[in-house]
Amino acid sequence: MSAPPRKKSKETVLGSTLEMCSVRVGNTLFGIPITHILEIVGSSPAQPVPLAPDYVGGLVHYRGDVLTTVSMRRLLDLPPVETLPDILVFDGESGYFGLLVDSVCDVLTVDPADFEPNPSILDGRRRQLFAGAYKLKKGLLVMLDPVRLDPMNLAAILTV
Amino acid sequence: MDELTREFLIESQEGLDRMERCLTELEERPGDNELLAEIFRAVHTIKGTTGFLGYARLEKLAHAGENLLGLLRDGKMQAGQAVINGLLSLMDGLRAILRAIETEGQEAAGEDTDLIARLIQLEQSRELLELAETVSAIVAANASVSAKASTVSSFSGAYDYAQTEFPASLSSHPESNVPVGNQMDGEAPGNKDKPRPASTGASSTAESTLRVDITLLNRMMNLVGELVLTRNQILQATSNDANLTVLSRRLDMVTADLRENVMKARMQPVSHAFSKFPRLVRDLSQNLGRKVRLQMEGQETELDKSLLEAIKDPLTHAVRNSLDHGIEPPEIRIAQGKDPEGLLRLRAFQEGSHVMIEVSDDGAGVCVQKVRAKALERGLITKDHAAQMSDRELLQLVFLPGFSTAEQVTKVSGRGVGMDVVRTNVEKIGGKVELDSHAGRGTTLRLRIPLTLAIIPALIVVSRDQSFALPQGALSELVHVSPGQAATSIEWIESAALYRLRGNLLPLIFLDQILGKPALDGPVDHDRYIAVLDAEGRRFGLVVDGLADPEEIVVKPLSSVLKQIGFYSGATVLGSGNIALILDSAALAHKAGISQDSEEEQKKTHLADEVAEEIAAEFLLVETGGRKSAIPLKDVLRIERLPRKQIEYMGTRPVLNFEGNLLPVEDQAGLIDQALDPEMQITVVVCREGNRHVGLAVEHVLDVAAGSDLSEAGTELPAQGVTLLKERVTNVVDLSCVSDLEGIEAGQGWEVSQ
Repeated sequence: MSAPPRKKSKETVLGSTLEMCSVRVGNTLFGIPITHILEIVGSSPAQPVPLAPDYVGGLVHYRGDVLTTVSMRRLLDLPPVETLPDILVFDGESGYFGLLVDSVCDVLTVDPADFEPNPSILDGRRRQLFAGAYKLKKGLLVMLDPVRLDPMNLAAILTV
Repeated sequence: MDELTREFLIESQEGLDRMERCLTELEERPGDNELLAEIFRAVHTIKGTTGFLGYARLEKLAHAGENLLGLLRDGKMQAGQAVINGLLSLMDGLRAILRAIETEGQEAAGEDTDLIARLIQLEQSRELLELAETVSAIVAANASVSAKASTVSSFSGAYDYAQTEFPASLSSHPESNVPVGNQMDGEAPGNKDKPRPASTGASSTAESTLRVDITLLNRMMNLVGELVLTRNQILQATSNDANLTVLSRRLDMVTADLRENVMKARMQPVSHAFSKFPRLVRDLSQNLGRKVRLQMEGQETELDKSLLEAIKDPLTHAVRNSLDHGIEPPEIRIAQGKDPEGLLRLRAFQEGSHVMIEVSDDGAGVCVQKVRAKALERGLITKDHAAQMSDRELLQLVFLPGFSTAEQVTKVSGRGVGMDVVRTNVEKIGGKVELDSHAGRGTTLRLRIPLTLAIIPALIVVSRDQSFALPQGALSELVHVSPGQAATSIEWIESAALYRLRGNLLPLIFLDQILGKPALDGPVDHDRYIAVLDAEGRRFGLVVDGLADPEEIVVKPLSSVLKQIGFYSGATVLGSGNIALILDSAALAHKAGISQDSEEEQKKTHLADEVAEEIAAEFLLVETGGRKSAIPLKDVLRIERLPRKQIEYMGTRPVLNFEGNLLPVEDQAGLIDQALDPEMQITVVVCREGNRHVGLAVEHVLDVAAGSDLSEAGTELPAQGVTLLKERVTNVVDLSCVSDLEGIEAGQGWEVSQ
């Protein structure tokens, strides 16, 4: 299980088309560079952890390890839903971690030319979490950066 | 670092480890050729390989050592104290260079001139002694010697680095430089010999063993854990299908076997942790002016590698303590009539699913009064407490942070961190530690270590529909509380919940509340359980909603974000496939504010329990005249049931003809008098009192139970005291109050006179 090479930012691949995995959380479509994703685990329950920071979605069992997951819904202060979340697995700084999203959608190809940085009207937390957006024909694809979503780093980002 | 260098480093380390062991043994058996050959081989291998890899400094040092060892091996020299000291510092020197290579990839700059000079001096000093006598004679007799000597000194001039540190005696006997030549002779055969033993030694181990990275073993352990889980699920899923059942049984067996073997692969003999002690003990005892014999037993006992690493520090602390505070200097030992040489014993053995490691010495022991005084001085206990504590309880105080009875802080120990560290480290890996000491006779420290860390037995508890794992190491008992009982048996002091456990108040922690769950509306209407836990000396009850079966759980680490919460020591995947968090009972106690004070209190009561259990007197519980009383079981000979008519009277005193002896019968409740029917059965408990027998007429014999003595004295009739029996205060019958037969025999005349 070798980790795919990590790209620190999207700027490094300007000029070529990029493949983004699109995921839905609430009404927003988010995009994550497909090369960052280790695996997608469909509809599985996460075991809640009492007293854990708000954004922790719980624990899931993944290939013999117990992964800490980050809940996008909780990060965005969205109300909980009944349906089981999909889980994206990333290789974080201190081991694997999962990201809970409502559902995983298609893989989209985007053109770096369509990229826009975060608009200034976003609140502080969202400006920290989002990594800009791509203008698609159907709407906007809000970019997420797995490095920022690492539970290790979230603690620092969210206290800012 | 390339593969070759890494291999070289590992091999050299192993060689030096062997050398260290052999050197300390050599001290006891200075002439043992096998030991010398082994040491020679280690140094030689290093020298041989370094030349090849181009580490000049290492080679130079190894070469100097090899020369000295060559002489020893060939029997040209005896390995005395000075030589062994020199060889030990050679080893340290080699180690230091190897370490530098390992961390920096190359040798640190510098020269080992002093060390090499010391080795060369040693090579010569031995012969010096010998020659000092003969040579001085020769010098006197033969003037030509001086001419010869001058050539030799110019030859030895090549070894300029050696010249500076020659002993003073050397300059007065220039002739004694002769050994330099001898040394050269000695080296040549050494060079020829050595490749053979070195190569045979290396090949035999290389063929049968393989070095494996520990992370690979960890990964394997993880995967095996995963396999166990999948197996459990398959077993459940296939239980209805006969064909699959056979297959899944096989899977079950293979999995179990695999798991056992992977665990075995992680096991290492305790000797890995023990091996450094001969050197440590030797150095420390020289340092401290003690004479100590080290005895090690059960070195083959195996323990998981990670646990072995974890106990190295606690063991070192314990050994240091024993040498510094335990074993007295030889003069004092002689004055006390002890063998001037102290005995330090390291002993390891397996006991069920634990490995016990004992560090015992026959030294001064711990003075309980000093412990008490120090504890009072430091405010660790109150005066009232101290008065109530037994010696054994007082002893355990040394594990409290900041405790040291040493009169002064020495280089070796006495800063008061030692025992605290021992306890913390051992408890961290789920072990327990215990101190046993007798003033003047010695101290024994016992470490109780679980066999493996990766898989631990745990009780699965449920709180608000979520499962948690509670490691059984900390669990001492379980108490069931039904909804009806809850109102009465859980008592409150304001907001603090307490449970009366065998007369002691046990602070309670509600798991759901401490985990931040909102309180339930209305009274609790389901069964609850109290898990009585002992963590780092804190004793408390954890209230949970339910219990599931105990399980052997595979511990998975948590991400640091969740570790920071502090309550969980890990997570595990249960047989059902659910994830359970592993509770850290010590942290729970800490967070719930089971404070130092009450910790001591609880510890005290806990110890009192333990002690009571150990020496627990057993009592026969009887009922007489509607009252329960207790008879010490050790005094009970037999229980007789006989018809009323067999009991006769001597005067007003009922007596029984018991095995041909007259037995006075105590009938407090007037049972015999009241029994009108001569056939009515009367129960008489026949007891031993001193060297006579007495009988007690009782209504019912109820039970045999362990009691613990209470200090309150009873004021009622023949009860020498009271005991806590089945959580009830019960009178103990005082057998000595039963008037003896002599009085009755004397009373015969009195009867007649009546």
